[in-house]
Amino acid sequence: MTSSAREKTLVYLLIGIVLLVFMTPIYLILVSSLKPSAVMFSRPPAFIFTPTLQHYYDLFTMRPFHLQILNSLVVALGSTAFSLVVGTMAAYAISRIKNKRINDVAFWILSMRMFPPIAVVVPYYIIFKSIGLLDTPLALIIVYSTFNIPLTVWLMKGFFDEVPEALEEAAQIDGHGVVATFFHVTLPLTAPGLAVAAVFCFIFSWNEFLFALMLTGSKAQTVTVAVMSFWSSDAVQWGRIMAGSFVVLIPGVIFVLTCQRWLVQGLTMGSVKG
Amino acid sequence: MSSVTLRNVVKRYGQVEVVHGVDLDVEEGEFVVLLGPSGCGKTTTLRMVAGLEDISGGELEIAGRVVNDVAPKDRQIAMVFQNYALYPHMTVRQNMEFALKPQKLSGTEVDCRIAEAARILGLEPLLQRKPSQLSGGQRQRVAMGRAMVRTPKVFLFDEPLSNLDAKLRTQVRLEIAKLHKRLGTTVLYVTHDQVEAMTLADKIVIMKDGYIEQVGSPEEVFARPRNLFVATFIGSPAMNLMPASVQARDGRPILVSGSLTFDAPAALASSLKPAQNVTVGVRPSDISLVNAGAGYDASIEVTEYLGTEALLNLKIGSQEIVAQVPASQRPAHNTQATRIAFDPRHLHVFDTASGQALRA
Repeated sequence: MTSSAREKTLVYLLIGIVLLVFMTPIYLILVSSLKPSAVMFSRPPAFIFTPTLQHYYDLFTMRPFHLQILNSLVVALGSTAFSLVVGTMAAYAISRIKNKRINDVAFWILSMRMFPPIAVVVPYYIIFKSIGLLDTPLALIIVYSTFNIPLTVWLMKGFFDEVPEALEEAAQIDGHGVVATFFHVTLPLTAPGLAVAAVFCFIFSWNEFLFALMLTGSKAQTVTVAVMSFWSSDAVQWGRIMAGSFVVLIPGVIFVLTCQRWLVQGLTMGSVKG
Repeated sequence: MSSVTLRNVVKRYGQVEVVHGVDLDVEEGEFVVLLGPSGCGKTTTLRMVAGLEDISGGELEIAGRVVNDVAPKDRQIAMVFQNYALYPHMTVRQNMEFALKPQKLSGTEVDCRIAEAARILGLEPLLQRKPSQLSGGQRQRVAMGRAMVRTPKVFLFDEPLSNLDAKLRTQVRLEIAKLHKRLGTTVLYVTHDQVEAMTLADKIVIMKDGYIEQVGSPEEVFARPRNLFVATFIGSPAMNLMPASVQARDGRPILVSGSLTFDAPAALASSLKPAQNVTVGVRPSDISLVNAGAGYDASIEVTEYLGTEALLNLKIGSQEIVAQVPASQRPAHNTQATRIAFDPRHLHVFDTASGQALRA
């Protein structure tokens, strides 16, 4: 076997191991969500069984799970959109302003991301309670944005740095203002960056549990909290938990697949000079 | 009326002054080249004319109007950048359309201008391509087309050929010259390449360290360089420089440089002082090979054959000299020595202390 064939085999083997590690839990969730409760914990494990959709049926009939999915969608999409708008504009300013202090501003923004969520969850609870925002999607959108905006700023700054200023100067000489230049010249060139930022923001917001648990009740509860509500001190409803977990996976996968074209470009851009 | 006038224009970055009091008049339709080494301030000066850099002091006029505080879009200029600055996500046609958008022209007028520019520059088959699908020369032509469609009063070029290979550079240089001849628009062109400057310019502005060293036609700067910097910057190979001192012989001043002796040009005889330190300059092309008679014996260090001509790297005593002769006249292979003569009509004399050329 030639050395390049050996290298290729090794690479595929490593990919296979990584896929196995990451896909096994998802496989277990899916299989468990289709297993009748009686065979879920059988020893040895039942690989052959009659699949059932009972757990999915219970999920959507015993709780308003569709409303909780909607809450999660509103919160995730809302936070993603807001973070992209604010973060992108901040990133552009940081990229283009030639000022010693701007690096301090950029670091301060990044430091927000380093903050442990557990340290701020109680203060947020008190603040939102006092202004009447507890148990509303807006509260979660605000909280998630404080974590998503720094991430967006740092991602997009890198992409804006790659756009040559000569392009903007050319547009300026042609007669275009700053806003037109930004939207027609600079921003389209950073579309892969926007895709990467959008995916990270959405996934963080969609999967978040702590703030959703502490800041929401019955009205604005999200899917992550809803799934865990099947775990009580009396009983753990594994079937419904597994069904709920699998349903929670789907929007994230759809979102990533939608942005896939730009995602690959965005994650590898900058590694090779164009 | 001057198309572009710079009066004592200064540029500072904080406390550091990088362009010092530049005065320049560019006549309408003139092709003016700002030439100089890297860091001399030529691009900074061009960017001040474009409005991409603020002017720290002095006045800039374009078409008779002071434009110090006027936005680039209102200066009636168009610029061709070193790296083309084509919008990569737009086709060639869209690049040109985008350049015309702020002018709010009718669709017909836009189509007309684009068609005309495409025809002149040979871009018609390329209109639907994106910049990544074009060669370097094609991209440069698109950049020129994008500037052309705006029908500006002044074209600004910032080292447009520096990213092209030698052959393409010659080709595109010719196209720029033809374009200027056809359109007759004023051009301000920045380059560090003296060949571009000499072949394209009506007027060359030679800059060094933020100062203008000399302004003149290509013939003037070549034949009558104002100082040592201009003398050595213009001309390839560079002018031979020989340190000399002024002495007297038979009541006439002579210039002695080691074993070399030159008769001082008659026009300078009265201005030269005894024992004055001067630098004698002779262009390689003003040195000829002689068989006998007045001249100097020189040892041949290296012969460089260039096809139509040859460069002879010679040594007379400790003085190294380069002579440029027609290839047919070059000494035979393995020849160790030859005899050369200097054309007295083309001697340049510079004051060594100040570097300035001594002229009548």
